[in-house]
Amino acid sequence: MQSLSLAYRQLNTLILGKSRAVRLALTCLIARGHLLIEDVPGVGKTTLAHGLAAVLGLHYQRVQFTSDLLPADILGVNIYQRDSGSFRFHQGPVFSQLLLADEINRASPKVQSALLEAMEERQVSIDGDSHPLPQPFFVIATQNPSEQLGTFPLPESQLDRFLMRISLGYPAADAERALLLGQDRRSLLADMTPCLQGDGLLQLQEKAAALTVTPDLADYVLALLQATRQEGSFLTGLSPRAGLALLSAARAWAMLEGRDHVLPEDVKAIFPAVAGHRLGLAGDATASLTALLDHVAIP
Amino acid sequence: MKHSLLRPAEMAVLLAVALVIVPLLFYLPLWLPALVELMLLLRACLLLRQSRLPGLAVLLPLLALAAAGVWLNLNTLIGREGGAALLILLLGFKVFESRQQRDWQVVLALGFFLSAMPLLFDQSPWSALWLVISLLALTWAMLRLAGDIPSGSARTAVQALLLSLPLMLVLFVVMPRLPGPLWSMPHDTHTAQTGLSDSMEPGSISQLVQREDAAFSVVFSGQAPSVSQMYWRIMILDDFDGRRWQNVHGLQQETAQLQGGQLIRYRLTGKPTRSRLPLLEYPLQAPGGSGLEPGRLFRLASDSDDMVRVDASSLLGSHYRQSLSLSDQDFYRRLPPGNPASRQLAMQWRMQSQGDAGFVREALLHFRLNGYRYTLTPPLLEGDNTTDAFLFSTRQGFCEHYASAFAFLARAAGIPARVVTGYQGALYNPLGRFWQVRSSDAHAWVEVWLQETGEWLRVDPTAAVAPQRVSDGVSQTIPALQPAMPLMGSRIPGWLLPLQQSWQAAGFAWQQWVVGYDAARQLNLYRLLGLGESVDAVAVLRALLLGGGLALLPLLWWWRKRPATAPLQAGRNLLVAALQCHGITIQPSDGPLDMLNKAAHLPKDVRVLLKQLLKEYAAMRYRHAELPAKQVQAWLRQVRSFAQQARKKRQRS
Repeated sequence: MQSLSLAYRQLNTLILGKSRAVRLALTCLIARGHLLIEDVPGVGKTTLAHGLAAVLGLHYQRVQFTSDLLPADILGVNIYQRDSGSFRFHQGPVFSQLLLADEINRASPKVQSALLEAMEERQVSIDGDSHPLPQPFFVIATQNPSEQLGTFPLPESQLDRFLMRISLGYPAADAERALLLGQDRRSLLADMTPCLQGDGLLQLQEKAAALTVTPDLADYVLALLQATRQEGSFLTGLSPRAGLALLSAARAWAMLEGRDHVLPEDVKAIFPAVAGHRLGLAGDATASLTALLDHVAIP
Repeated sequence: MKHSLLRPAEMAVLLAVALVIVPLLFYLPLWLPALVELMLLLRACLLLRQSRLPGLAVLLPLLALAAAGVWLNLNTLIGREGGAALLILLLGFKVFESRQQRDWQVVLALGFFLSAMPLLFDQSPWSALWLVISLLALTWAMLRLAGDIPSGSARTAVQALLLSLPLMLVLFVVMPRLPGPLWSMPHDTHTAQTGLSDSMEPGSISQLVQREDAAFSVVFSGQAPSVSQMYWRIMILDDFDGRRWQNVHGLQQETAQLQGGQLIRYRLTGKPTRSRLPLLEYPLQAPGGSGLEPGRLFRLASDSDDMVRVDASSLLGSHYRQSLSLSDQDFYRRLPPGNPASRQLAMQWRMQSQGDAGFVREALLHFRLNGYRYTLTPPLLEGDNTTDAFLFSTRQGFCEHYASAFAFLARAAGIPARVVTGYQGALYNPLGRFWQVRSSDAHAWVEVWLQETGEWLRVDPTAAVAPQRVSDGVSQTIPALQPAMPLMGSRIPGWLLPLQQSWQAAGFAWQQWVVGYDAARQLNLYRLLGLGESVDAVAVLRALLLGGGLALLPLLWWWRKRPATAPLQAGRNLLVAALQCHGITIQPSDGPLDMLNKAAHLPKDVRVLLKQLLKEYAAMRYRHAELPAKQVQAWLRQVRSFAQQARKKRQRS
């Protein structure tokens, strides 16, 4: 727990004035979820991903997605070895603990689905051989919501693979001022010290998954799910998988808060990030979700 | 905003008590309940505008003034009417000095007491229905006042009433009855008596006939007599003053004997008219073993006008023999001066006919053949010689006209005669299997004493004019004769008749089983259940233990069924109410941390305590699957004291 709060503090010196987004990102990773950051360029998406990798002591790779990217460019490829006369698997960038998939919606659906499959299965199958991905394995994908030309928007079924979708947004004036006057972010990144060693993160994940959820809290999650299904403002309601996602995210959030049990407030805190993209809402259209939270009574 | 919590609850209390006193609008002088309703409305307005309340210096003189008004109107401040009037008046004034929670609780308690008040005046199913509505409203208001969440209070009120229903039933069945009606208070003189009056003049019965309400109901044991034989006698009118027939109790002793006839037994349920109950002609003996009044009439021993049930027996079609002394005969021949033409007509018939019976035949023939019409709206009889005017010029009338004219003619011819009022006919209700006699069946006829046989003979001159009246009832007779009559035109259409009958049947069952559940029936039930041979303390205790135990079962079921978190939820509601007192509004969607965050600006001591309570709450609800009841109760106690302090603080400020 000490190490987690240390990591959180370090990240906040890197990304200024975005403590909530940082906390959500950290929550997402502790809940073993993949993170989708939807924002305009230059607000610190990459820095956040980089920072997360640095403070959690994870092996980090970055792929810039373009329309001519091929699945093999991410997953890896079997290459013929002339001296041994056999094929050898060359791991792609996906074989890392934290993969930053920059501008994921620029790649072709083929590449997207290859990555998303790897995210779900946590292994890569090439030419009949399966290669397990390292543990832990996260994908932080970014996409630019305002540029639509030449992009392939992620289908709903694949959006579901991301536990959370967050956006950073422009920093507040004083945070931005501190940013302008402060050190270069790159050098800051280099100074970050890993807070977790070895399988520290895995332990944290297991601990989070073991947090108490009482029937009363499950009832609240159920009430929220029901409300999204009955509410007229959503095309489709949340799926049962979304319910599980809500619970695991709430657990991780509760652990970050230093509690051993989950409160309705934890669910409320992560609800917009977990439910927004699943309900097909635009990144900034979370008002309806806040309204939903305000009128669903805690049973 | 400091009243923001209490105000909706106060409104609920005002609304509930306003509902409670609505039926009293019918039983008390109208101005009084209307005034109290107005006061409640005024109080609600003051509540909305948060205006200052008038002080005692204003209220007390006003109260004295209003009480004086009641005194002037009713001549009393005690008894049924006076007591009810005074109580609702006090209620009206109490709300003007209600500021704190405790005051409103007093108002509510008064409302519960008042909700039973309409039953003192009327014990019909309507009153019971209104009582249920009142109780629901009051319970709802009580929940609001106790700080229950507004959204659930209506449902909780219904649930609470339903759960307490078995206990109510047990208490109703088990608690000892006083012999006779429970509220046998002296009836008040100012209220207009319904039913037949003790005198008869043109128009007195036709008014009654225009009403459709039930007068009494009868269940015959065995075969019912034919409708045309059903003459229900209530009163004998033996003195005529030229316009009005009344009872002067000329006959002090009953020396009559009944001969022959068919024995009919029946059970009659109804409200007495001036303590009199109608009995079928001619009653064998008075119900309950007491004696009949002279003239074979039945008068109740008590002076109450509450619904009673009697078992009676009559000899149908028997000869009513009585030896009248000469002075008695003269009494029944007395006539005031006037009406020379009628006297002359009577003397003329006397000459032509043979004996008294011949005279009667002659007179009936006259009514039948000379264009007399049976109508509810006869022309007014003017002048002193009303009988002359009726017999020779208007020739239109209702039963009272015919009975009066016939009795006059008979007396003028020297035949002892008297007018009898009561009801004729009845309507069978196949659903409830009883006979219903309505106000519209009110009737008047004549009994003449025949010298030859020494017997009283019933003569119904109306039957000579409109035979339908006796065979089919007045409702069948009037429309056929006079379809344009406005009041009678609005009679219930045929397709509604089953509905009316069901309602009557329901009313009959209500009367039989609820209102009529008296000491005797209770004793029967006690014996049947083996609770004891008499309704004494031991038997009642036994019944209460047994029945009460059974009645508490639903409550036990509810207690076991309710979720373990129910006390936690109750505690949360209390906390919400307490924070409301501090001016903090908590939404149902707020969790414990949200509540704490909203309370950030509270004084430190309050906040620390609140934090601890909320922490325990969160731990009990969201940390432990199993809860030790003791811990929950301890927490709830703390929450209660916290809420109490918050309320006190609000009242101080």
